[in-house]
Amino acid sequence: MKLSQSPLKNSFFKTLICLLFVYLLGHLSPFLPVSPHSVFSNLSFQSLAYAEDDEEEDEEDEEEEEDGEESSDGEETSEAEDGEEGEEDLSYLTDIGPAADHEFEEYSFMGFSNRKFTWFAAQLHILFASFILGCPMFVVIMEVMGARRTQGVRKAIILSNVFLAILIGVVIGITGEVIVGVHHGVLYGLWACALGALIVSTLNYFHLLMNIRVSALVGAIFGTILSMALTPVEHYETSGVILALVTGAVGGLISNGIMFAKSDFKFERLAHEITKVIGICYSFTALTGGLFLFIMLVAYEDFITYLIASFPTLFMVAYPTLFILETVVMYLYVYSWDPLNKSNKKGRHIVMGIVLNVLGLSLLLALDGPTTFMQTPPKPLDQILNISEWDRIANMAWMPLNYHRLVGNGTFGGYMVCIIGAYMYLWSDKKEEREYYDWVGYIGNLIGVAIMIPLPAMGYIFVREIYQYDATIGMYIMSDRESMFMLVQGLLVGTMFSVSNIYMWVSMKRIENAERFFPAMKFGFILIVCAATIWFTPRRFFATMLPEPSMNPDMVLPDNLAFLALMVSKNTAAFCLVTVTFINYIFYTIATKTGKVHYGKINPLGPYVLIFLGFADIWLMSWMGTIRELSRMNWHIYKVFKDVTPEKFAPSLAESGMQVTQIVWTFFILMTAIIWIGIKYPKTKKNETKPTAATPQVAE
Amino acid sequence: MKIDMIIIGLIAGLSGLYALHSSFGVAGVGAGLAVMAIYALLLKVKAKKPVERSLFHNIRFKLPIILVLAGIIWVMAGKFNFPVWWQIEFVSFAFVGFFFFTLLDLKTLKQEKSSWDWLIRLLATYALASSIFIVVTAQLPQFDPELELAKLNRPPLKLADAAGPEVIAAGREVFENNKCFNCHKVFWEGNSDRGPNLGTKQIGLYNNDYIKEQILDPRKKQSPGFDDPKSIKAMPTYYGDDLSEDELTALVAYLKTMRDPTHMPVEGKYGDQWTWWDDKEVLAEGQQVFEGVHPATEGLSCAVCHGKDGTPMMTGALDFRDENNKDTDKIEGDHSDKLLKDWPDDLWYRRVTRGVPNTPMAPWGMIFEHLYLWKAEAYARTFHDPLDKRTARRPVPPVPSKEEIESWTTKEMFLDPLL
Repeated sequence: MKLSQSPLKNSFFKTLICLLFVYLLGHLSPFLPVSPHSVFSNLSFQSLAYAEDDEEEDEEDEEEEEDGEESSDGEETSEAEDGEEGEEDLSYLTDIGPAADHEFEEYSFMGFSNRKFTWFAAQLHILFASFILGCPMFVVIMEVMGARRTQGVRKAIILSNVFLAILIGVVIGITGEVIVGVHHGVLYGLWACALGALIVSTLNYFHLLMNIRVSALVGAIFGTILSMALTPVEHYETSGVILALVTGAVGGLISNGIMFAKSDFKFERLAHEITKVIGICYSFTALTGGLFLFIMLVAYEDFITYLIASFPTLFMVAYPTLFILETVVMYLYVYSWDPLNKSNKKGRHIVMGIVLNVLGLSLLLALDGPTTFMQTPPKPLDQILNISEWDRIANMAWMPLNYHRLVGNGTFGGYMVCIIGAYMYLWSDKKEEREYYDWVGYIGNLIGVAIMIPLPAMGYIFVREIYQYDATIGMYIMSDRESMFMLVQGLLVGTMFSVSNIYMWVSMKRIENAERFFPAMKFGFILIVCAATIWFTPRRFFATMLPEPSMNPDMVLPDNLAFLALMVSKNTAAFCLVTVTFINYIFYTIATKTGKVHYGKINPLGPYVLIFLGFADIWLMSWMGTIRELSRMNWHIYKVFKDVTPEKFAPSLAESGMQVTQIVWTFFILMTAIIWIGIKYPKTKKNETKPTAATPQVAE
Repeated sequence: MKIDMIIIGLIAGLSGLYALHSSFGVAGVGAGLAVMAIYALLLKVKAKKPVERSLFHNIRFKLPIILVLAGIIWVMAGKFNFPVWWQIEFVSFAFVGFFFFTLLDLKTLKQEKSSWDWLIRLLATYALASSIFIVVTAQLPQFDPELELAKLNRPPLKLADAAGPEVIAAGREVFENNKCFNCHKVFWEGNSDRGPNLGTKQIGLYNNDYIKEQILDPRKKQSPGFDDPKSIKAMPTYYGDDLSEDELTALVAYLKTMRDPTHMPVEGKYGDQWTWWDDKEVLAEGQQVFEGVHPATEGLSCAVCHGKDGTPMMTGALDFRDENNKDTDKIEGDHSDKLLKDWPDDLWYRRVTRGVPNTPMAPWGMIFEHLYLWKAEAYARTFHDPLDKRTARRPVPPVPSKEEIESWTTKEMFLDPLL
């Protein structure tokens, strides 16, 4: 049954689309071929005054050339004339008035200085941005999991499967490329997984054509064949083919699994609730972004001007366009949830969610350009002014940071779901609500842990690229001024893996027959503590490469024990942490599948463990951001633009720890308010038993 | 589906074992198999319903165990020569484990009765997390930001008015600032063996051009023992862009001080090192010097007196074929009772560089580069200790301590006044 739509709504959408079209056309003009009398040039909303100025300048240039020819005949005459008249004073063209002599001074307020204000605003902005980029990724997958499999939804699932397969394929591919050394691993992973998913989803569209095994096989075979055709290599290597087979099979598996998953309304409700929070966080992202820019203009005016001017197309065209488009799509996504459900157009809503994600990811990729340009500006540096804007964006660390942030944002989103679940569990009185939010916490932890597993590999890839660009930065991070910062990172990662496992333990206690796994899990905990100890073990206990005055030079491991501090030991420890967590995760999954889960009866410790976990994750994320920023040493843009302000030195570990804690506290206070306003407050207005989720889809 | 799980598990297990084998060999595989066996065994154990204990009951059983365990860890770490700070670290982690296991067996928390209950618990959670991170970051070793700022504010290096020792000191700073210590030790200083120890290798024996080339184009000639693919790529190639002419000059001046008058240069990577006494290429070059055909030591021929085949051509010239020869007593106040076969390295060096008074054995160290003199000495030993008959390499000497290095200058063991 189709619901009729009001003519008012139709005309509103048409007007909106027209406006968008005009706007886009105006912004497209810089990409169009230059023509003096182009129709499009009048649509670019450029000031006519500038256009006239240009023409005048051209004419002046011509006149000057002619003058030059003439003056060569009578040089003496012209010199005499010049001498009489003197040089023409053109300073009025650049004179900005009495403000020209103004000097910017270091600003200080309640212990906060230029740098700390910038640091604060930047990290707060990036935390909100991570939320609005990380959460929509699995919100759309959850929406799919919660949607009834109507024909429209099944069509949309083909697209969402491909989207998910691209993300998974890229992550597996890059891990294979860097850790195992598969040539063009990313491309093999991406194509095989995406095309495997596409073929299996399409074949399964009309009815269940293949079971899960056949789907994996078909995904693997077709994905591999197509990825081999699409990946530009001279010789096929076995490792590449194996990678393609694995990722193709994964693509086939997830496609089949998602396409025929039994729709669960809990997922729909969760996706809808998180979307409401995303809407508010979006405003905070814009707010903190503006704040960051204002602070930069006060604190680092010269630098921010240079940076923005280095990316004219990005900052004047691409970024605003993407941002506005994302804003439009995001609000459409949030506010069309109920109307599209009512009119049985769930599939369209899912597609809109994917478009939102694509725009969000594009924004992430775009802004990673200037971020990484500051870290690894393309060499040779004396040519930095002559290279194209695209070359500045596609610098050495760009793609590694994209991968790292993609996975990092996913983990962040997972743990934010944990926090939402935990808060709402604590704020709920009703049994059904508690059961539901207990389940939300379980799902959040599942997502967080699953995405956290490849995260160390992404970090490794990023730092490896930095080492290749300039080993000095790598050494500064790993064995010099930031070595103690990295030690704290090790402690944080160990804490997160441990706490995640403690949560699994606590929540398994509410599953019947789960105790059969407990002895093995306890053994896993012993391994976790051993691995965390090795990860934490440093080569030396002083904060610099060589002991400085007042440091104890004996705080160094002897040579025969130094291996404990080397990458081989750290990698083994990381491998152990990941493996034990993965094994516990399997135990947890088997327990939930084979025993009855008493949702709502979790040990009250559970929600606090989740909140601790979320806090540790966000603290770690801010900490790693700090490490990345400080690794440029006293450069805004490494070896291109020097920081000459009084705060150019690296802050101490203690000062950084305190600053990051303040930032994370601020974020959590804001998030608590946002969760309350977005989810809890509307419930207090209505009957609490009635879920605030979207109106269920109507029957077809 | 069970068979799928078995296949996936098998593939994952084998991959893990392969990874452990590539890093730790058979020991890694053994450890991996042991962990798997323990897991398999523990999954077979018929588990009882977990007993939840109050905090007191928990600690009553676990605390004595952990105290004993901590004691064992402390003693064992000491036995393995871990410095005390690492002993503290390991014991601290044992207590972290104690905390974990106490938490795992802890009684279920009481349900919150009012908003205050969860609010207090919530704030306690945030306070706990924050205090851990604040305390850890405050207690770990720190550097002094004032010192950092002072370093950054220092003007760029200009050698125009600098004298020898100042240039060397400036070179030391260039060495530190460019993180050379990250890969290179200088005798006892530094703590990485990624690259050669520039002190025991005695990089200062080489001429300026060679040292410059090694800095600017490090892949042109790899140091012996560092020719594996990983080491070849290890030394960055951008120092030519990063260092100013003055900085490079100062750095080379500092590297030129890396000499040891008491030992033969040492080559190779930590764990597989050797001295020039046993270096085939060095001996071949030393032979050229000894026989007077090396272009870098034109005018020097040891063979003129000591004989090309070791048979002395002049009365009184030392016969290198006789391993029981004694040291000369012609140098007043400087005599060793040791036989030629047991001569320490510094005696060889001293006799060749400073000569023997009132004999044709001139102080060759005043005329020729010491690099080649060491090589000639290494060759001279082969007359009584041929390379092909040696069953083992001569032991690599221990790295000289700070005090030893300082004594070389005070005892004026170098001929160069700057050393």
